[in-house]
Order: sequence, then structure tokens, then C-alpha cells
Amino acid sequence: MLADSVLSELYRLSRNRMAVFWSALFVPLLFVVGGMAFHLISKSKTAEMSGDLAPGVAASIAVTNLGHDLVQGAGIVANGAVLVFMLIGAATLYAGDYRWETWRLISARNSRLNLILGKVGAFKVLTLAAMVVFLIAGLVFSTSGALINGHSITFSFDGGDAADLGLLLLLGYIRIIQYAMVALLTAVLTRSLLATLFVPVVLGFGQTLLGGPGLAILQWEPTAWQSQLLLPGLAFDALKAMVTVGVGAPPAPDGLMLKAIVSLALWTIVPLAGAVAWFNRQDLSKE
Amino acid sequence: MTAVIETRNLTKTYGAVRALDGLSLSIPRGGVYGVLGPNGAGKSTLFRILLGLIRPTDGEASVMGGRIGDVAASRRMGSMIETPRFPPFMTARQVLVWLSAAHGLTPDPARVSGWLERVGLTEAADRKVRGFSVGMMQRLGVAGALITDPELVILDEPTSGMDPPGIQEMRALIRSLAERDGITVILASHQLLEVQRVCDRVAILNRGKLVREGAVSELTASGERLRLSVTPISKTLEIVSGLPGASGVLEGDAVMATLPRADTPALLRALIQAGVDIDEARWIGADLESVFMSETGSVQHPESIIQEVGHAG
Repeated sequence: MLADSVLSELYRLSRNRMAVFWSALFVPLLFVVGGMAFHLISKSKTAEMSGDLAPGVAASIAVTNLGHDLVQGAGIVANGAVLVFMLIGAATLYAGDYRWETWRLISARNSRLNLILGKVGAFKVLTLAAMVVFLIAGLVFSTSGALINGHSITFSFDGGDAADLGLLLLLGYIRIIQYAMVALLTAVLTRSLLATLFVPVVLGFGQTLLGGPGLAILQWEPTAWQSQLLLPGLAFDALKAMVTVGVGAPPAPDGLMLKAIVSLALWTIVPLAGAVAWFNRQDLSKE
Repeated sequence: MTAVIETRNLTKTYGAVRALDGLSLSIPRGGVYGVLGPNGAGKSTLFRILLGLIRPTDGEASVMGGRIGDVAASRRMGSMIETPRFPPFMTARQVLVWLSAAHGLTPDPARVSGWLERVGLTEAADRKVRGFSVGMMQRLGVAGALITDPELVILDEPTSGMDPPGIQEMRALIRSLAERDGITVILASHQLLEVQRVCDRVAILNRGKLVREGAVSELTASGERLRLSVTPISKTLEIVSGLPGASGVLEGDAVMATLPRADTPALLRALIQAGVDIDEARWIGADLESVFMSETGSVQHPESIIQEVGHAG
């Protein structure tokens, strides 16, 4: 039953090429194209600055470690641009049936819970796909940079890197899903595709402002409970810092991990529960 | 006869408005069943409740033996409520594949093509639905309701927006669904002539209540009257009114008498004995429209009249 819902949502999403492109492909593509341009420009600037240094002298000592770059790429897989553009896919999935007036075609043959969880499941698959594409784009970015700049390429990847990669991908995945839950709740409450797109953007922008100068004005410590609970982005950054912290770095403040995990969990579960509860009693004939 | 749909004291209120007012209805398995009523009678509300789109304020309803919301029972039912809409980026074929998957079926290309052919959309099968006319949307909606091979299908105004040949094709399809495929079809339509031609039984709703239910043949037979072209009319009216259980009214230049058929010879004898010249005496069956109008106390909604005029043209 849930599988039916997930599969049908994925099938429909796969036919919506614009939504798939903008949500999962655009940012990685921009990353690759922009990255290549950056490498080309920086190479020409470096050549100008190095003057009479023989070409290849500086390059010959530089090495691009794709294993290291892969882990670094995983660290930015849930960056602001990805979050915003993934909302296009989320809005299409979560608010599409309101916009296209198609609830009445599908709602009779599955439970409301399965219908809404099917959408969440389809978005999870889209997120995983987008993350894979982003990692590949990161590798293309690094490889192209190495080729343009004449660096040698290696792939050194140990157990520690694998653990970091796994944890960073998991964190990024949770962050994207958590952000999209706000979109889900917005879709069910407003029945509007545009609102589903923009409410999380505005909320995210507001949280970013609050997380910067806002905390200083309020005189809240970033590691305090209220800061972590109010700002899931801050919680995500805190957890990411714990994963990527270098040897010898100061340990995270006591209890910060718990606060950050609770924050992300609440920002994921509460909107989902709210959306399910509202959707269960919603009149689906009004679209 | 087992019932595919049963409602008991079904009530739905929107604020002070009672869209359904204690509706108790039993729709038997097999054939084509029409649900009639003027706008606001409660037809769409009834369908929306049966499909689980809205919840009743009071009362109970069952579909295919299961309570509303029972997914196993609901999966044996297909539906098309109001003018259907589809994701505009999909083709007609993709819509049916998507609906198959949504209903737990492995998409079967042969079945998809088969239903597209039966609703007359073979040529448009691979066109995006954003370019479809209302009539084509209706056809695709019907195919979508049938793609899972349901035992029961609910069609709300299935011919809305169709041209006259399209209406005829849809009428034939609906009859074949009942006769060839054994599917119980529940149909709502404003077009009473269409309902009379295609339905076996009808329920007439008015202000959320059931006012009449039965086989179309019984309903129209119960309203039949004897048309008398006679001279003198006043004498005829007097004689008709004098018979027990009979009544007569003047319509145009004829007397329309309502009486048991068995009393016809007695009436004619009485008229002849009174010296009335009888030019013509003919039983005229009531059409569904006259039954509908007498039961609902309304004329047909202007929208349906416009549709019929449009179709006639």
C-alpha cells in the first residue's frame, strides 16, 4: 500500500522533467560549470602573477586527492542552494495534487496516511538521487580543476574518511528532509504550490538572520537550548562540525550533540505529524 | 439482490446548510443506476462521502460491503467526480499508467491501450493532456475510473462538455460496461433524457433527501395518463372527475385523464353514453423529466437546458 503510493509518486515525478531538473540537477550542474569557470579564471590569474615561473613547476607539486574532495563534497551536500532548489521537487510532490486537482483520482484507493507518506518517500528517493548527483558533480569539479591546473590526481580514502563521508551524507540527508517537512506542512495547510515553495524559503532566510546578528542582539549563546531548538540550521552546523573536527580541536560543549539532535528531530517530526493530522481530516474535494 | 452501496440516515451539514438530510439508500449490484436531482440536491455530496473525500456529519454508509475508508473495499470501485483534471505534463497513456500504479497494479500496456481505445482516445494516447478539450478530459477520466477493472464505477456527469457523437459513444460505453463487463455503474447527470435512455433504476434526490427511487420503467409507467381528444370538453371533464380514483385536466385542446388503466373501458363507455364525440383516446407514458419535475417541484436547471439546446444544435 505504501509502496504503491511511493511508486506512483515517483512515476509521476519522473514524467515531470522540469521539476526533476530544477530540484536535483540544476545546482550540481551549476556547481560543475561554475567550478570549471573558476578553475580557468584562477589559472589565468595565477599565470599572470607567477610571471616567469616555468609552467608546470607549481603544478607538479600540487596533488588533488579525490577521496578527500569526496568527503568535502559530502559536507556541503545540504548547502543553502541545494535546500532552496530541492524545494521545487518538494512543492511539486506535496502540493501537486492540490494544484492539478488530482486528489479525487487517487484518494479513494489508499489510506490517507499512505498517500502522504508516499509523497515523503518519493521525496526521500529524490533527495538521495540529488545527493549522488551532487557528489558526482563534486568529483567532476575536482577532476576538472586538477586537469586544468595540471595537478596530479590521487584517490586516498581510509576508514576514517568512509566514516566521515557516511556521517556527513546522513546529516545532509536529514537536513534536506527536515527542511522539506516544513514544505509538507505548508502544502497541506495552504493547498498552494507557491506557498509550499516560498514559506520554507522565507522561514529559512529568517532563521539565517536570527542565527547571525539575531543571536547577538538577543544575547543568546549559539549552543544554548533555545538557539538550537529555534534554529535547525544551527543544529545541523553543530553536528557537522563535530564530524569534521580536526585532531586537537577543542571538544564540543557538553550536551550540544543532544540539543542539536533534538532540534533536528523536532523540526522533522512535528511538521510531519501536523501535516498527517491535518490531512487526515481534510476535505479533499476542495482543491 | 446484494447492495453495492448502502447509506443509512446519511447527513452532511455545512454550517446551517443540510447538503444531505438523513439519506437512506440501497443501490443494487448490476446495471446502471442514476442519481438525479436539481443543483444542491446532494448528489455530489453523496459521491464525495462514498469516495471518502469528505466525512458525513451523521449516519453510515458502506461501499462494496465495507465502511467508507475501507481501502480493500474502495479498491473494487472506480470513480470520476466532476470534470477530471490531470497533471498537465503527462500524456493520456502516462496518466493511466500512473493511476494503475497508484492503485497497486503493475501497469499493463495492453490494458492501458484497451481502455484508451474504448473511450476513443487511441489517437490522442501519447499527447500531453494540457492540450485536451473538456470532452477528452472526460473520456480520460472515465478510462481512469475503469483502469483497475472495478466492480463498481461512479461517474458524475460523464458526458459534460462532449459533442453529440461523443455523448452517444459514452452512452453506449456505459451500457456495455454494465452488460458486457458486468460492472455496476452509478451515474449522475443533469440530462434526464440521457438518464432515461441509459439507466435501469434511478433515485431522485431533492434538498438532501430521497424523494423517489425505482426502476425507470416503473417510474415512467406510474405517471402515464390517458389523452382524450373529445367534444365537448367540459362534459368530459365532468365525467372523468366523477369516476372513483380518477381526475382530469385540460392541456391544450385535450383532456389528460389520470386513472387506473383497467378503468379505461368504463370511462369510454360513459363518455359514449353521454354523447361525447371521441376523436382520439391514447395512453401516454410519462418521461423521466415529468416525474423529476413533479417530485422535485422544479424545472430543469438552466445549465442542463443550455446543454441540451447546445447538443441539439
